Amino acid sequence: MGVLTAIFAREARLAWAGGGGAAGPAAFFLAAITLAPLAIGPAADLLAAAGPGILAFAALLSVLQSAERLFGDDFSDGTLDLYLLTPTSLAALCLAKVMGQASATLWPLPLIGVLGGLMYGLPPISALVLGAALLAAIPALALIAGFAGALAAGIKRGGLLIALIATPMMVPVLIFAAGAGRSAFAGDERAVANLLLTLAISLGTVALAPFGIAAAVRGRLG
Amino acid sequence: MTSASLSRTVTPAPKFPDLRLSVSDLGLSRGDMVLARDLGLALGPGEALLLTGRNGTGKTSLLRALAGFIEPDTGAIRLNDEPAALAAADTIAWLGHADGLKPGETPRSALRFWADLYGQPRTAIMPALRALEIDHLIDRPAARLSRGQQRRCGLARIVLAHRPLWLLDEPAGPLDAEGRACLAALVASHRARGGLVIAATHQPLDWPDARSLDMGAI
Repeated sequence: MGVLTAIFAREARLAWAGGGGAAGPAAFFLAAITLAPLAIGPAADLLAAAGPGILAFAALLSVLQSAERLFGDDFSDGTLDLYLLTPTSLAALCLAKVMGQASATLWPLPLIGVLGGLMYGLPPISALVLGAALLAAIPALALIAGFAGALAAGIKRGGLLIALIATPMMVPVLIFAAGAGRSAFAGDERAVANLLLTLAISLGTVALAPFGIAAAVRGRLG
Repeated sequence: MTSASLSRTVTPAPKFPDLRLSVSDLGLSRGDMVLARDLGLALGPGEALLLTGRNGTGKTSLLRALAGFIEPDTGAIRLNDEPAALAAADTIAWLGHADGLKPGETPRSALRFWADLYGQPRTAIMPALRALEIDHLIDRPAARLSRGQQRRCGLARIVLAHRPLWLLDEPAGPLDAEGRACLAALVASHRARGGLVIAATHQPLDWPDARSLDMGAI
């Protein structure tokens, strides 16, 4: 098995075995989108208009749920030290690690996003566009959370630091992912553009964030 | 340790290519505390060095500098005349305070992962576990292993890595007398193959001809 495949598979397996897999983020996401209408009120028009934004925002917060453990556990059990002593690039290892965990824990978010969209009164096609936007956003959200998690690895109450670092960086993804659902609901052609921009941000993050995560890991271990 | 297990640990294995570690004029500090100044070291094939000294004298910091995890303030660390930071990734096997085990992971799954990462065959896992006398625990989750058993699993990973320079931080800390005998046999076997061992320790380790460096005295 290749090095990166081994790390991807191990992270996915550990996320299932030790962290409850997708249950945590999915439960948080479901709770948030179920409670929000109780605060907003029963007006159907208002719920449908606010739905894409609430769903994208709740998905963002769900991704942050596991960010503290992503590198914190590896920091305290010595795994990060061992990763530094492998011939494979640390940036590639970090990418495989974050993606492995994201694949095991975040996969329900687009599905719940589609169901949530219907629940908020979006037409099926708009709900599907919103689900696709959330799917496109996951790599960017996971890697930004991973970057913040690496910077906060081993720090007491690192969750606060992660929230402060990650949330501003997630703003563009939030805007375009929610925008895709909103535009689809409004029936305007910018839905596809928003969806593609979300995907573009994710691809850019996949290309750049691993280097930032690797630098953060080195900094925490130094 | 039984004679059978000893014979397993000293099974002839291919020699490592010659490796020399040299440290010159090394300065190391933590915050405003100077841990080492103008430190020089030279270690050749088959040699072992024990870093001793009280808590806080810089044993772990020196090991971490040798592994390339932290930058020394001054001086150079070289492996065969190459900067250690460049050669470390396929030369050094590291055992820190923690063993890199996840609570839900068994020795089998953990060592399979590390074998893949180190590019070693998975068939080397069982011999490594046998050498540490924990082959019967191969499918027990790490959370249900004692601290000493987890340490043995960490040492099995070191054996599996098949690298010439071992950097060990308190390797015998949680080990019982039998475990320390296993460790001594492994170190002897590694040195016989031309490997180098540097260990930070509070416990006296009976490793023949091992040099000692008191970090509190430098």
